[in-house]
Amino acid sequence: MRLLVIEDYRPLQQSLAKGLREAGFAVDTTRDGREGLWYAMSNEYDVIILDLMLPGVDGLEILKKIRTQGRKSHVMILTAKDTLQDRVTGLDLGADDYLVKPFAFKELLARVRALLRRSYRQKSPRIRVKDMQIDLTTQRVWRGRDEIQLTPREYALLEYLAMRAGQTISRTDIWEHIYDFNSSASSNVVDVYIGYLRKKIERPNKPRLIKTVRGRGYVLGAQL
Amino acid sequence: MTCSLRTRLLTGIIVGMILLLTVFSLLIYGVIRSALVKQFDTSLASVTHMLAASVELDNDKIELEFEVQQMSGSRLAGSSEFQNAEHPTHYQLWGPNDIVVAKSPLLGTDDLLRIKGSLNELVLGTSQDKNGQPQRTAGLKFMPRIADSDDKNYQPPTNVQALTLVVARDAGDLHSQLRFLRWLLLIASTAVIALSFLIAAIIVRQGLNPLRSIAAGIAAISEDDLATRIGTTSAPAEILPIKNRLNDLLSRLEDAFRRERRFTADVAHELRTPLAGIRSMIEVTLTRARDTDEYQSVLSECVVIVENMQTMVNNLLMIARLDACQVTFRHEHIYLCELVNSCWRPFSEKAKERKIAFENQVHNDITVDSDRENLSMVLSNLLNNAVEYANDAGQIWVTAHHTNDSVEITVANTGCRLTNEQVEQVFDCFWRGDSSRKDAGVHCGLGLALVQRIIRSLGGFTTAEVTPDGIFTIRLVLSQQANSGRKGC
Repeated sequence: MRLLVIEDYRPLQQSLAKGLREAGFAVDTTRDGREGLWYAMSNEYDVIILDLMLPGVDGLEILKKIRTQGRKSHVMILTAKDTLQDRVTGLDLGADDYLVKPFAFKELLARVRALLRRSYRQKSPRIRVKDMQIDLTTQRVWRGRDEIQLTPREYALLEYLAMRAGQTISRTDIWEHIYDFNSSASSNVVDVYIGYLRKKIERPNKPRLIKTVRGRGYVLGAQL
Repeated sequence: MTCSLRTRLLTGIIVGMILLLTVFSLLIYGVIRSALVKQFDTSLASVTHMLAASVELDNDKIELEFEVQQMSGSRLAGSSEFQNAEHPTHYQLWGPNDIVVAKSPLLGTDDLLRIKGSLNELVLGTSQDKNGQPQRTAGLKFMPRIADSDDKNYQPPTNVQALTLVVARDAGDLHSQLRFLRWLLLIASTAVIALSFLIAAIIVRQGLNPLRSIAAGIAAISEDDLATRIGTTSAPAEILPIKNRLNDLLSRLEDAFRRERRFTADVAHELRTPLAGIRSMIEVTLTRARDTDEYQSVLSECVVIVENMQTMVNNLLMIARLDACQVTFRHEHIYLCELVNSCWRPFSEKAKERKIAFENQVHNDITVDSDRENLSMVLSNLLNNAVEYANDAGQIWVTAHHTNDSVEITVANTGCRLTNEQVEQVFDCFWRGDSSRKDAGVHCGLGLALVQRIIRSLGGFTTAEVTPDGIFTIRLVLSQQANSGRKGC
């Protein structure tokens, strides 16, 4: 899952990026409003964490532009402004969530996960694909009764596939949601990671979970 | 006086009415009374003269003419005024040597008071009869008429002597008329005063209505709702200035409250952001076990943030204390050149790194009479700002000179990108140049606000300007009039 953090207070921005990356997200960061707007317009982020008081372009201005351009990204406003009017304005302009500084990092993570479930229409924090179960909160994966140990990158890939289980997903799509802007990896790396993931989750005596759709990409579970 | 406006107006109106009515009543009473008395006296005088004319001296004998005698003598002549038992008219005539020559039969044994006056002069007076009834008297000393004689040889007596006639007439009617008039005037006045009290009460109530509505308007304003104004409807001309001043006051109050709220919100915002940074850094670090280096780097970053927060809180406290006049200054002679040099020292290293040239143009012997600690805080703040915002390889310079009764100090730096409108805001709390917050959390926008307040408390003022070629100048003007040892406001 790919996130964008637009926050101009350096210590907060750095610790957010670090914490979110450690939680398995691909994170882009910027401290400038104009740059933030450019990032938001040029990529399909799952969640954008947006400060309101920004140099260059104001946070609310960015939000308005994102929404008028029809971007689907979920936006979480993260600000020290806490009045009712501020919250209402932010939410009415198209924000999906509003978190007031200072905040608990765990809460931020939970809210990000909730936004992700919402954007992929998953109500439950547990996804079941045939006999495989994924706990989105604890990031643990089981095949039948056996728990499968995955690296963060493998988990991120599996999570994205599971969120869109049944849909054919292109390599570029996967790549865009798993890797952040600064990563040097190309979309070929997706095939490599699909290989790693298959080795860990497929069982010889059970049906295959990840199928390759020639020329189009991959699909987890039965094709819809 | 604490009594209400209504009571005051009512009292004024009623007292005025009473005064006016009393004066008018007395005036009317006086005029009518004098007219009635005059009429009475005229009639009395004519009777007196008639009586006097009827006295005749006949061969040295004094005689009353027949008609008069009869008229006055007969008790049956009821039509005569002399015989009116209710309000009788009495007369008494004295001859020479105070011998009573004649008197009204009704008088009986009583005598009228003899009046002394000069000849032919009518003397009027008031007296009481034997029953205590008031009566008017007219006295006349006159020479009696000599009786006509057919005798041609008749010699008029030579030694004719003056007689005295006093006529007294009962004045009961007059007095009862006057008494009636007095009562009439008293009752009419009382009625008018009572009526005027009622009318005045209504008028005063009506007249004071606008005041009441303003009071109700003021009472309806709560501290959360200062945007409302009093009396949108038109007020009387006398109330209008009060209403307008009150509304002005409300506007100022609203502004002050708004500034206060914005300030509080700004403070909260400025404290929350670094707090969020610290919290998130600590929480992210705690999500898993990390090596010592990482802990150390996070902790030292937290310390930097805490230090900045501490500076900000100290500045806020200083500003609050300056605003509340709780700072005491100790004025002394300060050599400015030295002070500028000592304030510059902490920034020289940083300036050197960025190749910024510093020039202290303050002349050696310029002194200023001020508080050393606070003035050095001001200069340090200004120099810190200058180093922070000057362009690389730019310039910073400080000048000072004496003007009448004051010392003017300027701190200038090159490389300023602020517009004139922005420069007007530099002394506002939490204002940052172009809001770019290149050092968000490090500079919270209190430095220049603090400078302005310290200089104001030291008895001076500050201005800021920027030239088109990017030279930003802060000018401090410190008044040097005897102000040593005074408090900060």
